[in-house]
Amino acid sequence: MTATAPGQEDLGLGPHAEQGSRLARGGRAAVRFARLQPGGAFGLAVVLLVVVAAVFAPYLNTIGDGERDVRRIALAEGRELDSTGYLQPPNADWWFGTNSAGQDVWSRVIYGARPALIIGVGSVAIAMVIAIALSLAMGLLKGFVDGVLLRLLETGIAVPGILWLILFTTAIERSLPVIVAAIALSFAPITTLVLRGNVLQEASTAYVEAARVVGASNLRIMLRHILPNLLPLAIVNASIIVPAAIMAEAGLSFLGFGLPPPSPSWGVDIGPAARAYFYTAWWLPIFPGLALSLTVLAFNFLGDSLRDVLDPRLRGSGLI
Amino acid sequence: MQAYIVQRLILIPLTIIAVSILVFVFMRVIPGDAAAVRCGASGVADQTCIEGLRRELGLDICDKSQNFFGDVSCTAEQYWKWVSEIFGGDFGQEIVPPKPIADQLWWRLGNTLQLGMLSIVVSMGIGIPIGILSAIRAGKLSDYAARLFAILALSVPNFWIGTLIVALPAFFWQQRWVPDWTGWADPGTHMRILVIAALVLGISSAGYLARIARSSMLEVMRSDYVRTARAKGLRETIIIVRHTFRPSMITVFTIAGLQFSGILGGSVIIEQLFTIPGLGAWIVNNVGDRDFQVIQATALIFATWFVIIRLLVDVGYTYIDPRIRY
Repeated sequence: MTATAPGQEDLGLGPHAEQGSRLARGGRAAVRFARLQPGGAFGLAVVLLVVVAAVFAPYLNTIGDGERDVRRIALAEGRELDSTGYLQPPNADWWFGTNSAGQDVWSRVIYGARPALIIGVGSVAIAMVIAIALSLAMGLLKGFVDGVLLRLLETGIAVPGILWLILFTTAIERSLPVIVAAIALSFAPITTLVLRGNVLQEASTAYVEAARVVGASNLRIMLRHILPNLLPLAIVNASIIVPAAIMAEAGLSFLGFGLPPPSPSWGVDIGPAARAYFYTAWWLPIFPGLALSLTVLAFNFLGDSLRDVLDPRLRGSGLI
Repeated sequence: MQAYIVQRLILIPLTIIAVSILVFVFMRVIPGDAAAVRCGASGVADQTCIEGLRRELGLDICDKSQNFFGDVSCTAEQYWKWVSEIFGGDFGQEIVPPKPIADQLWWRLGNTLQLGMLSIVVSMGIGIPIGILSAIRAGKLSDYAARLFAILALSVPNFWIGTLIVALPAFFWQQRWVPDWTGWADPGTHMRILVIAALVLGISSAGYLARIARSSMLEVMRSDYVRTARAKGLRETIIIVRHTFRPSMITVFTIAGLQFSGILGGSVIIEQLFTIPGLGAWIVNNVGDRDFQVIQATALIFATWFVIIRLLVDVGYTYIDPRIRY
């Protein structure tokens, strides 16, 4: 009980950090962070790996956009390949094997980090902007506007998110920007409801009362007093829904309503177009699924430790 | 309390109406209709085929008006017709096969509910004990193991696990673990499919529930009256069973209730995977066919289930925790 709760110790980043070269200090801080928040450090490391994979995808022994073609190479070498030859189990040349179209699974897994990150971060960023704006507006305007918006948001969450996503992508098109927008819209209602609760809670605190007594306008109170206190909670919330957004895209593609099949995406590779070959090629579902699971796991770990650091109410309680 | 329930009961229809309008409008915005899909599929995507089928299916009703206002009023009229027929228990016709939707709706809802209820049993049966154990042994090795399990269960997508369960036994042992759907005609097979699907579906909710159970147990354990109980010299078992367990389960049951309200939606992917003829699989298949009536009916059922369970959870809350008043 006397041990300091995670996140409360000096991380070595403050003015009292010990002397030494900048690099050595940075290294010590990293070691301390890893000791205090092992999960967070693991999450951060894996997330950085995924970012590296997404950014440097062309240089990581991949050929093309996950389109490396055994068939093409065989033809160039003057060999004939029947269609079963497209599927190659993992070997020295094809680390993760090849799929039914003769594409390199390793390339597709590496390139798959791109849509995952774009969707995870992009849709959550949009959702958070919408949620912060709406929750502040609801707290500011109260009464009728609040009531109407509340009903609309509840309508949004009454129908399962995956159904909205399916309808949305079918109605417009199955492309990356549309999926980002769809996921952002499907996460916005629930996030707004959570943040609205936080806004109301902040609005009833003594310092807001004090600001009001001094004569600050409602708008000023919202923007200068409540918004800064809302941001850490918003970041914690965002860290919770990033893995959920990545999972949502994968689920959508898995059902065949996400990115169209040739595009590299982990969800697409365990989706309906590839599924027929899973009974003959175990490596097809394994590697994209592992990449997806590891990424979601890393974001969850990172979110947990971010919450430990940023949300003082939950500090020391471990998880949520 | 009663005033609160009445207020909620008034709001329920409003939410359902809003959902029905939203889905109805969505269906009119989606490009292509059932006629175009079916004529295209049979390789004769010519205008006569599409027009004939549209007339047959009644999809051309709103084509005649020339202006926006005419479109809107015609669509509104169709919406009204759809809604008023629902009150007579008529959800319209499915296009393929051409049968009344109501025939299948309840049967499919039944299948989805069986899966959903079983998955909630899995979620609570695995999640709560693990969470409690984790809290009691906080900081010990078993706590770390339990927390690792919880975060893994949350993170590994259940549709991937499901895919592996379907595909890998076939590859390595030439076996099928998940047989074809038989319904209750063959109870053994039926239960086998349901149990496997419910385990896959429930394990991720179990992870979430375990985390909630752990943190709320820990919170109660830190409270003053538990310290008092310990100071009185009560045995640790009694403190946990009598003083900690009950109050910490309030949050747990609320979350379980929320999971219960979401079970219909959670099954959309899993039903597709295990070919369970439930609502989720139905809706996914019919989006491709543009069978608007089926999608509308199913979305309505999803929303109705959701709002009713939410109300029950909120009301039940006041019984578990008498301190809460609305």
